[in-house]
Amino acid sequence: MRRISLPVLFALAVFVLLGAPARAYEPVLVRLSADRVQFYYDRFLVEADGHVRVQASNGFVATGDAFSMDLKLNRYVLAGHVTLTSKGSSASGAAIADFLDFDRIYFVPVTTEPDRWTFLGGDLAHPVKGRIMPGDAFSFPQLPEYPSLTATGAVIGTKTYARFEGAQADFGGAAIPLGSYVVNFSSNQYFAQNSLSGANFDATWNFAGNTNTLSALHFRYDQQNYAYLAFEQHVIGDHEYAIFSMNPLTKAGKFYNLQLYDRLSDRLQFQTFTQVYAYQYNLSAPQAATQTTYIQGTYAFPHSYLAATANVTNYNMLGINPLIQQTLFADSVKTGAGNLSHPSSLEINFSSFQNRIGKTPFYEQIYGRYGFNHDSVGGDQYLQGCTPAACGVGPIPPLSVPGLQAFGAACVNQHGYSQPIYFCPVYTTIWNEAVGFNLYATNIKLGDQDNPYKTFLLNASFNAEEQWNSLPHRIRQQVTSISLSRQFERQVNASLTYAIQNTGDYYLTGGYTTCDPFIAGTHLPNPNCPNGLDGFRGAATWRTTSLQVNYVPSPEFNFSVLARHHDDFPAPSPNFYTQPPLNVIGAPIYNTYLGQPPNDITGDVRFKLFPHILIDVARTYYFHYGSQNWSPETIVQVLPI
Amino acid sequence: MMRRALSICVAVLAIVLIAAGPTIVVTGQLLAYQDGYVFFTTGDGFHVAPNVVIHDAKTNGTTTIAPAPRVYARATFDSTGTVTQLDLSRSPLPQEGSFDEVARFAVALSSPVPNPDLIVQTPAPGQSIAPEFRHFSGRPVLVTFETEVPPNTPFTARVYITTDSSGWNAQAIPMDRIDTLHYQITRRLNSGTIFRYLYDRGSFQSVEVAQNGLQRAPRSIVVTDADVRVVRDNVYAWVDTTSGSYNQNPTTLPTPYNPAPFPNLPGGVGPPGIKTPCPAHPNCPP
Repeated sequence: MRRISLPVLFALAVFVLLGAPARAYEPVLVRLSADRVQFYYDRFLVEADGHVRVQASNGFVATGDAFSMDLKLNRYVLAGHVTLTSKGSSASGAAIADFLDFDRIYFVPVTTEPDRWTFLGGDLAHPVKGRIMPGDAFSFPQLPEYPSLTATGAVIGTKTYARFEGAQADFGGAAIPLGSYVVNFSSNQYFAQNSLSGANFDATWNFAGNTNTLSALHFRYDQQNYAYLAFEQHVIGDHEYAIFSMNPLTKAGKFYNLQLYDRLSDRLQFQTFTQVYAYQYNLSAPQAATQTTYIQGTYAFPHSYLAATANVTNYNMLGINPLIQQTLFADSVKTGAGNLSHPSSLEINFSSFQNRIGKTPFYEQIYGRYGFNHDSVGGDQYLQGCTPAACGVGPIPPLSVPGLQAFGAACVNQHGYSQPIYFCPVYTTIWNEAVGFNLYATNIKLGDQDNPYKTFLLNASFNAEEQWNSLPHRIRQQVTSISLSRQFERQVNASLTYAIQNTGDYYLTGGYTTCDPFIAGTHLPNPNCPNGLDGFRGAATWRTTSLQVNYVPSPEFNFSVLARHHDDFPAPSPNFYTQPPLNVIGAPIYNTYLGQPPNDITGDVRFKLFPHILIDVARTYYFHYGSQNWSPETIVQVLPI
Repeated sequence: MMRRALSICVAVLAIVLIAAGPTIVVTGQLLAYQDGYVFFTTGDGFHVAPNVVIHDAKTNGTTTIAPAPRVYARATFDSTGTVTQLDLSRSPLPQEGSFDEVARFAVALSSPVPNPDLIVQTPAPGQSIAPEFRHFSGRPVLVTFETEVPPNTPFTARVYITTDSSGWNAQAIPMDRIDTLHYQITRRLNSGTIFRYLYDRGSFQSVEVAQNGLQRAPRSIVVTDADVRVVRDNVYAWVDTTSGSYNQNPTTLPTPYNPAPFPNLPGGVGPPGIKTPCPAHPNCPP
């Protein structure tokens, strides 16, 4: 892995790095030094006092006593004993104001007496004298009590970033030295693209950057990894980006991610995502490594689009030896190496726009896809095990990992006594095709339509999809949802929703294996076959009735309650079905699953803790379902205002 | 005798009063204090008397504050337009007087020339003035964002607004679900704000995309002066649920392709051909 994959990743990043910035926006650079530089994050103000020196890339150097720049308005003021030097000539005065967006510099010189000069278009040699200036040209803002940062200097790339040197952050009265710190306020949303997972808390230290790049160290906390560091690098252009990250940097299980994107035209884009998972202490040789790469191209038509997606995955980049070690010495080698398969897939997708059906309140959308999944390794390698001659150790018994797909046919010679041993037939290639459509209606008004606080809104949606596999089986799914909502007053709204989802997994021959509700040969209940599961043939139904009430007295406070009742088939059985894994912020990774508690109520409160920080706390109560009363995790999120 | 003395006194007093003239007091913020002039943030510079009195604006006594940029001052002008007293403060002072009253005292070598940049533009019929040329008060405006989400949005999904104002933090502004297809949030934004934003479901792996499947440019609004404003948007698709997307979590290993729709089905129940527990045998997997 160290010889091939990482250099390839970095080469791709360098390729984009060299290619991307060429077309990017070129800002005016303002280099600022002073006895004291302060930054106010909430108002995007840079203030400087004492021996201020400003060097602008539009051609002059100025010194003065006090400096103020509004990064959003993109203009600054320098005042007090100002000297202005450009191309060998100099002038002194009381203040200058540079309106960068308008190419206007307003100057109050003091020669024999004060005057008013305006420089147009950066021409410092030919001032327009006496021109009336905007009334607020030289105004200083009223400042909050405490700055977000103090520094000794800054480089400001107008409209994109400010990089502070000798920076210190104020955290509850304590100064935290940051060295270099970059504030990025570019309107280019590609800076927002990231290859990090979510986290309950993320404090970002942007320690380097410019118009096209941003390097950041993240101090993070989530409920799986707890506290850790992560690194992320952005390289951004007008129509392309490359993003690389290492996360979590301080844990043994590391994900190296690289995202590439290029918008080739108004209709065509390409993007890739490559992930390398390595189990390694610090940056030592990994004990396990997995790689996956997605490549996607999308072409837009006037009322539809086509997308092609390819994937290549290698579940064990280190070869067979670590897997053998993992098999033999499970305690000494961490899991995560994965099996030896390296599947690939290609899929072509079509989707229409959402179209209104005549003049009705209904909208429709159709979509479909066609593709295959393939694993060239197939079942032979990882089901046969390994002999001493081949592996040097052993014999290694067959591994229990099925191939690409082991469902859908009878298992011949299962647990046979002769070599090779196959548990089941294994499909190495599965073709699949699917079609589906959405039909929905939005905001149909009912009741007193003249009074917004007495109007009911009806929303409804229906989705149907059928997928055929060469396995051979097909999956049919329908999701219907209907809701009635009302705004009772400005602060209070509520909605009542009923949703039903039917999912069926149908095989051309045979069907789902069922379980016996009784222990074989007895009339005793089978604990592994609770009520409802004995009748399960591969078709499930989830019915959910929910009531949600939101109380929002101000933008800084919200309280909401969501009460749900589930009436599902198969019926839930306490402590029987495994619950879905939680993602890193404590929420289930999928929403529809067997065995949902029949009743739950979720409270979510959001409030302002500090002037610029919101806290969001949410937890679910299950009404003593089995032994479960509360959801495993309280979801706490720190949100900026 | 007495009458003559009284007349002389009245005449002297009248001469003194006429000579002194009325004083004018103006408060403002200093831009600079140098070269015998005091400059205010209006850009106007005024002569300072050699024996100017400098006091603390709050105590009216001596002060350690030096006249400098950012300092607030109450300036007293004599009848000739010379500043004879400066009362200084580091915090804003109550407004007194107007710079219109002392504009005639401002010193400038050149005669005023009209500035064409400041002429208010009249838009052509059917046209609007570009945001950078409009005038805004900057006062807070309650802006309600209401968005319609795609029908396949999971019911328990959390929807957020990400904006350049918060460094494109994907969870910057959490929204509240108000029915099966709509989310809403109200924020306080100052008028004049150019607000660029996108909707997402908590990360940029689930950000909205355009109806044509391509990544979309940020939405943009200019907050105009109003008490309240409602912005209604449509999210056509999320990048992770749109047809053809790859739903790859940055810290999750991809699972092998498995078109089995019941991920938490217990063992012993399931599709045909699924392997059954291996009986005790040396060839069983470990």
